[in-house]
Amino acid sequence: MTKTIQTTKSTEEAVKDFLKTLLEKEKVCGVFTLKKITSKAVAYTLVTDPAELDDAVPLYPLMPVNAGKLLSRFSLKGSSKKPVIAVVKPCELRGFVELIKREQGSIDNLFIMSFTCGGVFPTSTEVDGTAEKQLGSYWETVKKGMVNKDVRPTCQSCEEFIPYTADITLEVLGKTDIDKQCIMHITSKKGELLFEDNKNKFIEKDLDTKKLDTIRKQRSQEKEKLYEQLDKKLTNIDGLIEIFSKCLSCHGCSKVCPICYCKLCEFESADAEYGPSQYDSELKKRGGLRVPPGTIYFQLGRLSHISISCVACGACDDVCPVDIPVAMIFKKIGESVQQMFDYVPGKDYDEPIPLVTFENEEFSEIEE
Amino acid sequence: MNPLKATGVPAKSGVNKTIIDFLDKAVEKKVFDAVIVPMKTPAQDSYSYVLVKEKSLLKEDGVPLPPTMFIQGAKAVSSITRRGKPPMKIAAVMRPCEIRAAIEIAKLGQIDLENIFLISMDCPGVLPTSDFLKDPKKHEQLFEEAIQKNDDSIMRPVCQICDKSSMIAGDLHIGTVGTKKGTFLIISNTSKGENVLKELGYTLNESIESWQKKVTAISADKKKKRKKAHAELKSKVSGLKNLVETFSECINCHNCMRVCPVCICRLCYFDSDKVKHTADDYLSRAKSKGSMRFLPDTTLFQMGRMMHMSISCVSCGACEDACSMSIPVAQIFSMIADETQSVFDYVSGRSIDEPIPLVAYEKEELSSVEDAHD
Amino acid sequence: MNMKKNEEFMPKIIAFLCNWCSYAGADLAGTSRIKYPPSILPVRVMCSSRVDPLFVLNAYLGGADGVLVAGCHPGDCHYQEGNYFTRRRFAMLKKIVEGAGLESDRLRLSWVSASEGTKYAQVATDFTSKIKELGANSAKYKIFI
Repeated sequence: MTKTIQTTKSTEEAVKDFLKTLLEKEKVCGVFTLKKITSKAVAYTLVTDPAELDDAVPLYPLMPVNAGKLLSRFSLKGSSKKPVIAVVKPCELRGFVELIKREQGSIDNLFIMSFTCGGVFPTSTEVDGTAEKQLGSYWETVKKGMVNKDVRPTCQSCEEFIPYTADITLEVLGKTDIDKQCIMHITSKKGELLFEDNKNKFIEKDLDTKKLDTIRKQRSQEKEKLYEQLDKKLTNIDGLIEIFSKCLSCHGCSKVCPICYCKLCEFESADAEYGPSQYDSELKKRGGLRVPPGTIYFQLGRLSHISISCVACGACDDVCPVDIPVAMIFKKIGESVQQMFDYVPGKDYDEPIPLVTFENEEFSEIEE
Repeated sequence: MNPLKATGVPAKSGVNKTIIDFLDKAVEKKVFDAVIVPMKTPAQDSYSYVLVKEKSLLKEDGVPLPPTMFIQGAKAVSSITRRGKPPMKIAAVMRPCEIRAAIEIAKLGQIDLENIFLISMDCPGVLPTSDFLKDPKKHEQLFEEAIQKNDDSIMRPVCQICDKSSMIAGDLHIGTVGTKKGTFLIISNTSKGENVLKELGYTLNESIESWQKKVTAISADKKKKRKKAHAELKSKVSGLKNLVETFSECINCHNCMRVCPVCICRLCYFDSDKVKHTADDYLSRAKSKGSMRFLPDTTLFQMGRMMHMSISCVSCGACEDACSMSIPVAQIFSMIADETQSVFDYVSGRSIDEPIPLVAYEKEELSSVEDAHD
Repeated sequence: MNMKKNEEFMPKIIAFLCNWCSYAGADLAGTSRIKYPPSILPVRVMCSSRVDPLFVLNAYLGGADGVLVAGCHPGDCHYQEGNYFTRRRFAMLKKIVEGAGLESDRLRLSWVSASEGTKYAQVATDFTSKIKELGANSAKYKIFI
């Protein structure tokens, strides 16, 4: 049973009030959350003045950038002197944890508020204004805990919608009275520091695991469907080449990926460029070679680098200028790699990334 | 400056076939060892540049003038020579803006032009990638029709106002507009190009007058459209408020920068440590305004990139196609590029011998930007 | 693409062999005159954990019919722990190649010690016949790769 604070206000209003109070009482010096910046656009914003939280939209179903990447940038050179609270989605939080394991950020002086997540729209809906139009139906499906067909495919098939390491977890997914009530679960000891003034108002309650399990089953079914579609295409090298035919090696997928943090990517270094003798031998071998070379090498190579930590947020899909379903491909392959090590990326700060550790006896079946 | 010389070739069944036949002949006679030319990909939903040596491949699958420009051709050429001059003679067939970009980045040490032959053609424009992807087959058809009808309304916005669609900067150029019926021109612009034609047995005695007249008329017409379009765009994006709003949806994915042929830096300033600040730095900036978009400096990135590359911008439009948030970057950057380049009477990629204005100077010039003092 | 019909397919297998164990083992197979097919192209590395999965991918996509990574037996690594990491990386790589629809059977991990000349020849022979069954790696001829 976790301690909860329950308010008879819409969840969004209660969250905004809570964040404002934290700033006013100087419990935090900054709030990191989504804010409406134009009639169509939302963006993550660092807020220091409580009045600026009036047009905050902490639960808005858009992820213009993976917030885990932003939190990493924020704390890359060390934490802030005074605490900050960030409202982020579960996969963004997991991305941040994976980055922390890679020494790309710090959780010190950072409080995390997250929630059981119904998914986000593709960023194209922000551009064409349909995000606003779809909001109503989105919240209806979230309340009922149904799979929403307007969100990213990775969201429709996401089974990790409960945050693991948040200090405060909001009940959102499957909460039918989200417009009238807000329940904040205090899911860490650190989180209690923010509620010192309401200690006597705690109510013991757990998340409705039965309901969330049902939702997870639906998401799993959706996942199997989407995986099946991919399986049909990824049958041999021709299938692989076809699915990445349009790829222009712009590396956008890599740049928005929370796990890809390398200042100079291997696939942009001189290493990955062909010299004259290599072009010569490739031409002799193949008769012709797509240029710039290394399309499939980049995709499989990036998989070998990040599949162990892919949180399947889907940012790569949205940024791809030629609509390749990168996110589902990386999700599928990422999951198969992670399952081999019983690893859920971002679940536990103390769990090392499987590739930097080992057991003396394991995987005997792959040695021949 | 070499005088333009030309030979006439039968127009056959369109510009693609004509160019392929020419390339085939050149490869046969070992004037070129290999060719960089667009080809349709296995999925049939896109085109990409292929460095091809195998003659049958070139003949069957080469499409010199595809409906889309997935990758800016200059980038394809640069990937071949950046680590050293190729040991073979390669002809690169691309649109005029791609040729100009190649020449521009050759000045930046990105391409060794020695064994490269640059071949362009009169350009009808190119379709926006996202439109093409909605229905590739249909758009291939629409592209063909647009060429027949001289209609550029389906092309990239920057193509619709491009006054350099027949500008010759490379070694050879295929002239298709305003030519004698049933004939295309192969025009040589450099002695390198001239030698190729001579080696292939062409006599360079064809007049380019009617072609020149037509392209000048087209360019003049486009210049008018360009002026008008730029004036409209300027009022839309001018001033801090409009500028910030135009880029409000920018997510700093930097796609525009990476597909840009003249953005060549391996580690861009805007990805470097210089733009990575401490948490307290960010917080104090946020405090001074009450709230601050995170990550900040979107406008700085856009303006900064403009400052870095507008002197070399060839207005190809690759950036706009790659923008994940459909911001009209190409139109904006192209408009500013016109202005910055005109300060120096410069046209990006016009000639390999013309240094980029920011690495050259006159002892007396641009007095209008200085403070007057005596 | 261009295969003479009466020529039997001799695979090209790139083998990454660690200096202290498997390379020495391969050497021993040679000095002991143990016969095995001429399909192996050895690349000596100091430790099997030097093998970046990208090397294997590059070889595969470049058209190698097979890629072998061989190292010391777990527990016997000259650098104590290297081969434990090799094992994990290889397991991951196989999954990725499989998931992408490619032939993960073309990739093989073996432990061969310096005294196991016979084993090395065995591995080479086994792997070669397996690759012969799979046929030539068509990645060799792909243009849009």
